[in-house]
Amino acid sequence: MKKPAIPESRSPSLGAGLSLLLLLLTLVFAGGCGPSRPVLSVYTWADYFKPELLKRFERENGCRVVIDTFESNEAMYAKLKAGAAGYDILTPTSYMVSVMFDQDMLLRLDRGRLPNISHVDPEFLKITIDKAMDHSVPYMLVNSGIAYLEGRVKDVRPTWNMFDRTDLKARMTMFNDMRESIGAALKSLGYSINTVDEKELLEAEAVLLRWKKNLAKFDNEQYKFGLASGEFLLVHAWNGDVFQVRKENPDVRFFIPEEGTIISCDDLVIPKSARQPGLAHALINFLHDPKVAAENSNFIYYLCPNKDAYPLLNAEIRQNPGIFMAPAIMARSEIIANIGGANALYIKVWDRVKGGN
Amino acid sequence: MKKSRFPLGVTVLVLIFFYLPIIILVINSFNAARFSSSWQGFTLDWYARLFHSPEIWLSVRNTLIIALGSTAVSLVLGTAAAFALHRYAGSRLQQAHYTLIYTPLVVPEILMGISLLMAFVAAGTGLGLFTIFLAHVTFCVSYVAMVVLARLQDFDFQLIEAAQDLGASWWQSTRKVLLPLLLPGLAAGGLLAFTLSVDDFVITFFVAGPGSTTLPLRIYSMIKYGNPPMINALSTLLLAVTLTAVIASQRLARLKR
Repeated sequence: MKKPAIPESRSPSLGAGLSLLLLLLTLVFAGGCGPSRPVLSVYTWADYFKPELLKRFERENGCRVVIDTFESNEAMYAKLKAGAAGYDILTPTSYMVSVMFDQDMLLRLDRGRLPNISHVDPEFLKITIDKAMDHSVPYMLVNSGIAYLEGRVKDVRPTWNMFDRTDLKARMTMFNDMRESIGAALKSLGYSINTVDEKELLEAEAVLLRWKKNLAKFDNEQYKFGLASGEFLLVHAWNGDVFQVRKENPDVRFFIPEEGTIISCDDLVIPKSARQPGLAHALINFLHDPKVAAENSNFIYYLCPNKDAYPLLNAEIRQNPGIFMAPAIMARSEIIANIGGANALYIKVWDRVKGGN
Repeated sequence: MKKSRFPLGVTVLVLIFFYLPIIILVINSFNAARFSSSWQGFTLDWYARLFHSPEIWLSVRNTLIIALGSTAVSLVLGTAAAFALHRYAGSRLQQAHYTLIYTPLVVPEILMGISLLMAFVAAGTGLGLFTIFLAHVTFCVSYVAMVVLARLQDFDFQLIEAAQDLGASWWQSTRKVLLPLLLPGLAAGGLLAFTLSVDDFVITFFVAGPGSTTLPLRIYSMIKYGNPPMINALSTLLLAVTLTAVIASQRLARLKR
């Protein structure tokens, strides 16, 4: 056993503890100053607003905007459902908006406070779920499509059936997402991505099983890296991701299949537990000011469906068919709807696709 | 007799296994490429962007406040718990106490997160830094108590008696005998609590409120729309700070001796 020695100096643990507490107190008080302005809490995806625009909103409305972030619709929903309050604006994807609306979690919007929503693109509203913008206003659109390396894939045709190409065997990926991948197969057959017809779903299953033979894997994340490095030649992809990869590998191209695709729309909504519904309405209105909407889209590379903002967009976005799809393809595209009990059918199909060979 | 090379080989392999990912992370924080892992030129761009993202620094601040606070409080509570457990080891009450302390170590995090959230909502506590702090204390206490308890079990209480025999008051014997000897245990418990608090995601996610996003929450949410190389840069900085602190504390310890 070690011989115990009684130290001369003060015990170091006490000193360390004291300085720790002091540091803590300074940190707490340093953060607590200037509380008089009202605070608007936004709960959203990371990097989803141009920071300068929020600064402007803060100046114009004499408030402070605090951004908190979530990483999946489901986690955000679970948290709010359990009673977490204090968030004033959320940006869930449309299907989650309808779930939350059905659960009576969302505030009906006061149209009188939102004059700018008259700028929202009526063509896009035709395919949304909440067409009257009663409790949600569309914020940003993400299109699914196909990305490929132009120098390595010959004879590209803008169709989902590219996944039948055996010459690209094991160099392709599709989303590891039930609704996205089954949706792509349904679209290739000309059916709706929200079908609840079992026969149509079984046909889609057969297509997916055929495609699966040519795929390297089902994946939502790594495909970006694989495409950039040339490991994958053709991938099922979201447009925003592809434009970022393209900055690194200029050989990357993107198209939206002519059969139509899935458009994901994140909406602006106000939960019933909001503490600042007035400021929340003001922010929704602000974001749909055409100039603001254009500046925001130019920054984050997703399209805000605001028809009067379109002429103000950068040429890079304006002339990009991956962001601005042709009207004919738009008309054939759909938004994922909440299909309720029929979800079980999709789960069965997806399980058989993932498990089968 | 010739020494076997085998232990050396294993050591080298283990070290590679531990440190290679960190080295790759550090290298990638200077890599101009965002998606491909191939080298596309040296850049300090990610660091520059990091210094221009107030949101990340806000979450670093939140993380540090919570980690320091919950470490300090759980050290006190955990040590007290360990003493009670050790001193009255045989009693029924302490057996129950032991079970209660032990449970948070084995309860799934998601269960703890959601039940804490429901408790806070029921109690009407506004979610924020304070609720995260409370939640972190709840699980850190158990880890601290376990580590300190292990240390106490090797502790020779005759030393305290000897000190008192030689005229030391309760306070003197505690401060000059018990605490210094217990210090390694306290340091280990504190570091463990600090580490757990800094990287906890699941529980924190549920009990966080407006304006209290911590670093792990921020990093996970950056996966969808955000900027991963910035995280490499941030991790490199944290690594540098930690290494400096460790080296400095070792130097200081050597100076004292």
